[in-house]
Amino acid sequence: MKSLLKKELSFYLNNPLGYIVIILFAVFANFMFVKDIFVVGSASMRPFFDILPWLLMIFIPALTMRMISEEKRTNTMEVLLSLPVSETQIVVSKFIAVWILTLIGFVLTLGLPISMYVLTGQVGGRIYLPEVFVGYLGELLLAASFIAISLFYSSLTKNQILAFLASVITIFFLIIFSTDFVAGVLPPVLQSVLNYLSPIVQLSNFVKGVIDIRSIFYFLSFTALFLFLTVVDLERRN
Amino acid sequence: MITVKNVTKQFGKTQAVNDVSFTAQKGEIIGFLGPNGAGKTTTMRLILGLIRPTQGEVLVNRLDPLAHRMETLQHIGYLPENNPLYGEMKVREYLSFVAEIKGVSNEEDVSTVIGQVDISEKAQAKIEELSRGYRQRVGLAAALLGNPHILILDEPTSGLDPIEQEKIKNLIKKTAKNKIIIFSTHILSEVEDIATRLVIVSRGTVVYDGDKPKRKGGVEKLFKKLVV
Repeated sequence: MKSLLKKELSFYLNNPLGYIVIILFAVFANFMFVKDIFVVGSASMRPFFDILPWLLMIFIPALTMRMISEEKRTNTMEVLLSLPVSETQIVVSKFIAVWILTLIGFVLTLGLPISMYVLTGQVGGRIYLPEVFVGYLGELLLAASFIAISLFYSSLTKNQILAFLASVITIFFLIIFSTDFVAGVLPPVLQSVLNYLSPIVQLSNFVKGVIDIRSIFYFLSFTALFLFLTVVDLERRN
Repeated sequence: MITVKNVTKQFGKTQAVNDVSFTAQKGEIIGFLGPNGAGKTTTMRLILGLIRPTQGEVLVNRLDPLAHRMETLQHIGYLPENNPLYGEMKVREYLSFVAEIKGVSNEEDVSTVIGQVDISEKAQAKIEELSRGYRQRVGLAAALLGNPHILILDEPTSGLDPIEQEKIKNLIKKTAKNKIIIFSTHILSEVEDIATRLVIVSRGTVVYDGDKPKRKGGVEKLFKKLVV
């Protein structure tokens, strides 16, 4: 699996596409937070963690859309499947590769909490760093579930754009499940179910600095489900 | 040993392969002939376990290639039709990648196959920058890695000039010892030169399975008689 992971990562790291997507993500993430930092008037990373899912909604499908669809279109998937490597290894290596790229994107935003820590220290009210770490942990779990969704769509079609759009639309609906807009439109029973299914609701505890085991379970099972469905799609031998 | 027993493969309403049976033993070079759409590629993909037969049974070394994918693929080298490759990779990088997956971690083995297919001067070139002939040789080198007992080559010389065709033909002959080689082609003279046995398919069924005619031009005559 190491060789598969190396292949996936080297594609992005030897290609402008990987750098463009990661740097654009970092620029947008930093800018979206910094532009409002003085308006908010409080030293907290929460607004940043609230913005991130919307950015991940675009950037993760952009990184993931080609991963399986392109292999199917160019028929290199047939080459891979004719080698002694399991479908699970193929899917997991692709998943880890995008997750590592997302991690690199997150590392490029670390300047925000660090500068905030230094600045707030000067006025005697330092931000609480463990809360920031837990926030990042939540975002990484959220990113994992978005990657799994995008990989699944990438496996369903040979068209990258279609995979991108389907992923963005699915993630968009998952995000808005938790909004007041949906709450006002749907019956309360359905609303509570969708609220539970929304990754944003599960993320909210992490944003507050609370590690919630139920939310970790939610993200891990969500990710595992979509990775499993992707493996099942590759295992089809029709 | 490869056993294909009463295999049928249907894609929707299209019957690609219909009740195909044949076996392949060690030391045989089987020329797999048939017009376009006869079911050659489908049969090869069935042997590799890339698709599931609608009916019948495929066994590779007495194992079902679908149920025992990893075990069977350890022994098979495959050159697919049109030879899809990762264009962004360099030749040696690609072969090292395939070698690692096949469990052939020794760089010497990579160098050996590079020498075998005569692509040493292109080892550091990007695959997308190679000519069709070189790309074909890279695909063949990947198939040869790990010295597999079985080689399945789907039109290995398609689109190559006569000199390149000759090189690939010689290479197949050289590597054939103690192996099962199944190769499909449209070039009948090629079969005459390399194959030890013929399997001719037409409209999804086997119309000939036997020795290669000994007389020069015999393959062409036989093919025309059975297929055209």
